[in-house]
Amino acid sequence: MGTGIGARVKRKEDRRFITGKGKYTDDIRMENQAYAAFVRSPHAHAKVTGIDKSAALAMEGVIDVLDGHQLTGDGIGNLICGWAISSRDGSPMNMGAWSALATEKVRYVGDAVAVVIAESQALARQAAEMVEVSYEELPAAVFADKALQPGAPQVHDNAPGNLIFDWVIGEEEATEAALAGSAHVVDIDLTNNRLSPNPMEPRAAVATYDEAEDHYTLYTTSQNPHVARLVLSAFYQVAPEHKLRVIAPDVGGGFGSKIYIYPEEITCLWASMRTQRSVKWTGDRSEAFMTDAHGRDHISNVKLGFDADHRITGLKIETIANLGAYMSLFSSVTPTYLHATLYSGQYVIPHIFGNVKAVYTNTVPVDAYRGAGRPEACYMIERAMEVAARQLGVDPAELRRKNFINEFPYQTPVILTYDAGDFGGNLDKAMKAADVAGFAARKAEAAARGKLRGMGYSCYIEACGIAPSAAVGSLGSGVGLWESAEVRVNPVGTIEILTGSHSHGQGHETTFAQIVSDRFGVPMENVSIVHGDTDKVQFGMGTYGSRSGAVGMSAIVKAMDKIEAKVKKIAAHQLEASEDDIVIEGGEVKVKGTDRKLAWHEIGLAAYTAHNLPPDMEPGLKEGAFYDPSNFTFPAGCYIAEVEVDPDTGVTEIIQFTAADDFGTIINPMIVEGQVHGGVAQGIGQALLEQVVYDEDGQLITGSYMDYAMPRADDVPFYTIEHNTTVCPSNPLGIKGCGEAGAIGAPPAVINAITDAIGTDALSMPATPQKVWMALQSTASLQAAE
Amino acid sequence: MTQVTLTVNGKSVSRDVPDTMLLSEFLREELRLTGTHVGCDTSQCGACVVHLDGRAVKSCTALAVAHSGSAVTTIEGLASGKTLHPMQEAFNEHHGLQCGFCTTGMIMTGVDMVNRYKAAGKALTPEAIRKELEGNICRCTGYHNIVKAIEDAATRMDGMAQAAE
Amino acid sequence: MDMTGEYRIGAPRTEVWAALNDPAVLKACIPGCEELDKTSDTSFEAKVVQKIGPVKARFAGTVELANINAPESYTIQGEGNGGVAGFAKGAADVHLAENEDGSTTLSYEVHATVGGKLARLGSRLIDSTATKLATRFFEAFQAHLDPEAEAPRSDEDETDAAAGPSA
Repeated sequence: MGTGIGARVKRKEDRRFITGKGKYTDDIRMENQAYAAFVRSPHAHAKVTGIDKSAALAMEGVIDVLDGHQLTGDGIGNLICGWAISSRDGSPMNMGAWSALATEKVRYVGDAVAVVIAESQALARQAAEMVEVSYEELPAAVFADKALQPGAPQVHDNAPGNLIFDWVIGEEEATEAALAGSAHVVDIDLTNNRLSPNPMEPRAAVATYDEAEDHYTLYTTSQNPHVARLVLSAFYQVAPEHKLRVIAPDVGGGFGSKIYIYPEEITCLWASMRTQRSVKWTGDRSEAFMTDAHGRDHISNVKLGFDADHRITGLKIETIANLGAYMSLFSSVTPTYLHATLYSGQYVIPHIFGNVKAVYTNTVPVDAYRGAGRPEACYMIERAMEVAARQLGVDPAELRRKNFINEFPYQTPVILTYDAGDFGGNLDKAMKAADVAGFAARKAEAAARGKLRGMGYSCYIEACGIAPSAAVGSLGSGVGLWESAEVRVNPVGTIEILTGSHSHGQGHETTFAQIVSDRFGVPMENVSIVHGDTDKVQFGMGTYGSRSGAVGMSAIVKAMDKIEAKVKKIAAHQLEASEDDIVIEGGEVKVKGTDRKLAWHEIGLAAYTAHNLPPDMEPGLKEGAFYDPSNFTFPAGCYIAEVEVDPDTGVTEIIQFTAADDFGTIINPMIVEGQVHGGVAQGIGQALLEQVVYDEDGQLITGSYMDYAMPRADDVPFYTIEHNTTVCPSNPLGIKGCGEAGAIGAPPAVINAITDAIGTDALSMPATPQKVWMALQSTASLQAAE
Repeated sequence: MTQVTLTVNGKSVSRDVPDTMLLSEFLREELRLTGTHVGCDTSQCGACVVHLDGRAVKSCTALAVAHSGSAVTTIEGLASGKTLHPMQEAFNEHHGLQCGFCTTGMIMTGVDMVNRYKAAGKALTPEAIRKELEGNICRCTGYHNIVKAIEDAATRMDGMAQAAE
Repeated sequence: MDMTGEYRIGAPRTEVWAALNDPAVLKACIPGCEELDKTSDTSFEAKVVQKIGPVKARFAGTVELANINAPESYTIQGEGNGGVAGFAKGAADVHLAENEDGSTTLSYEVHATVGGKLARLGSRLIDSTATKLATRFFEAFQAHLDPEAEAPRSDEDETDAAAGPSA
């Protein structure tokens, strides 16, 4: 099958990882390196009344102890949210100030108040314990619904009632009227549980200030080093962009949590200037739980109306979104434009209205986490559809099928225009692979063993690529969402691809090389991918929102178009043929229908020797491109979960998980399936295991892997993966994206399956054995009472 | 400070280190063998697994001084020159890794698991692999391909054992 | 976290009350107490070492006596800062009732909270640890006043005896 588009090429990057030679941020050691440890608030909400550094400063090997007053005094700016959202009354969102080191007030457990710089990590941590911070405790607002109630503690003075914005989408009156005229309305309250992203590599930063050049270098665990540099420069005033190099080397997973620029990176850069030392900070898992942006945390009410023929009439969703103590970089767009624009799901819904209230609480900031707003939307729609089927007494697959959108393009009532899809085909493939026909027999067999077997569907759709820059700009984005690429053909014909995308597990070094190999017939090993360094790649928007394929690779294709044009000109000139007759095949550049040809490397050499180029042609063979999508992409699919519940213990076992996805063109099925596996596991984690817990005082009590249940190998099954491809019409490769689908589609499939098994819909995520058992007891007692 | 002497990947090394230094820290900071990763602080994630006198241990839970005189194999010592260990090959073959951070611990755990099952004459089924991976967390792969890789490596390691005989 | 308990002490109420106000007795009975210095008639400064789950810390803090209704009841409240381990604070309403046989029944209601690393890493263990600490305090207190009473249960455990990673 070779190495072209569609081939299951083994990953080029694996060798360094499987031999322990990967280079992660914490593996980097600079000369003259010192270590940072942060002094963090143990209180959820308190005034900082004093910081006594004397004991720490007196310790041998402590270089400095720095606080927020010094930081702001040096002109370091506050952290910002990069997407402006307005309330329904037109007023702008209420963004409270966020200093990298708190000055007057701390607003969540873990909020940094000072940093110790010392000769060793152990010493820095010991000294951090010696910094005495005096606090005047304040009552804390912890839960989003309570934070909105009158008299709740105020997190930020400029967000009265803790309300950040009160945002609406769609048509309120028409939707209310549609619901009022419906034959049946499903009305359910749903909670989307708060999660901690947990990439296995904790965040880290190594900052170096070069006084002679007045230049900074930052190695950091980032999904988007260029965005980091932009924000560090333009907003946090650490250094102008040309004086700041940001490098994201090997990064051990991100899932959204490494998009943001956190206080620690800012502080390390500033401290390196202050102390004239390289400053390294490596977070531990406890700090990751405390300070990495959390995900989800929505409380919602869903009303879904049907006519007598079981066609959807309207959908109304009201949501309270907890954004934590400060507005993180994309916190505002995650529960709004990345979320409510997907309320139509895969269905024809004539009228939709959504209202999202975003709320400050004394908890760590909440931002995009794998799926980012779309899992929350999908969960509501797919739970509501399943509940509707149960209430209407119809087959859940057929209820979905009856309401599917079948004609494209389809304009939803909530902004988006779906460009292509085959929802019925996805459902068919999934049902066949999951052997839905044989389910009744399996259920009976399970019952004979005393087990409750259930099946649940989820037909998800997501909007990926995060697209046209002008469109997102009109919706409040502070940045453009294009991608850049540069293709450099060397004199010997080898190729370097510089990309603004960043790989932290996605396999770009392989997939990106595949499309180049496919296009020019150059062997894979002659193509290398350069990414993650602002000194090498001019600019880029990074990797999130399943955008590296649809947007990042499209930019590479555009740059390859330009290379191809120049190659053809050179070949036509040298082979004395018409450009139109030149073809590139199998590593050769040929004149169609003749035996005249040049080897690929001969073109490279010709371009750089420049001895015989067409008149007026510049030497060299290097082209760049910026690609700005014309639309979002719309990956969609159907997931079916089959579970068995043990009624004695409430333990759920996932027997079978089937995914039929439509990701458009697939470059490397092996890698795409790996993305689905990982996404589904995170979705199963959300459905069964994971929950960040704060107590009523705002203390984080899931602060380690002892208390936060990560999915482990025996919590998940082998997955069955099917593909059903409709090509995406808006980008040159026809790619839709695959990184988030699993995390979006899996939770409702699992919960729909469990609720099917236990016979009640009163079950929230995570469906722990205790909750499932309790739900079973309540249905048992109801049945007994009947 | 106490002198610690270890045989690491076949070479004898000696360092004066604080009594509080963890084996993971000794390997990463003293020997600069950075393939051993630290992913948590409660001995749960398994990214730091190395072989200590032939047994898999979490090096973040072992004090360096407590093991002076022992032999340690880290991920860097698993391959024979340019020839990868069958477990490493299988992880590549089955796409058993994505970001690579948990991978080194997974591979070391996988090798130990296969060795133990072989020594006990027990079959290493997928179910057994999943149970044995209780102490190793991966956030990227959903475990599907890790289980496949270890299962396949067990077969490949049979070949290796036979070739050695 | 809330808990309640009751002890019958074979000593008259006035004696029990006096002991409850005696720093030396309190120091001897508070598990892990290293120092307890009286700073006024109703306040003390204390240093206490505790281990809760994986977190071991030396707490420096204050103890205040309030709502004093001698010799019947008071509220003993304290807060301690364990540095990077976090903090703990709590209050116990202690009530003494005279029994017909001349003994005294001591009853208490405690409300306590913890924060920081203690909450993050040790929260699963807070309830059981706190119950154990309260039990040990009151059993020691009972034994001090009433050596004849049944010996306290021997539940010397890892709470402060065993070595562990310190915070």
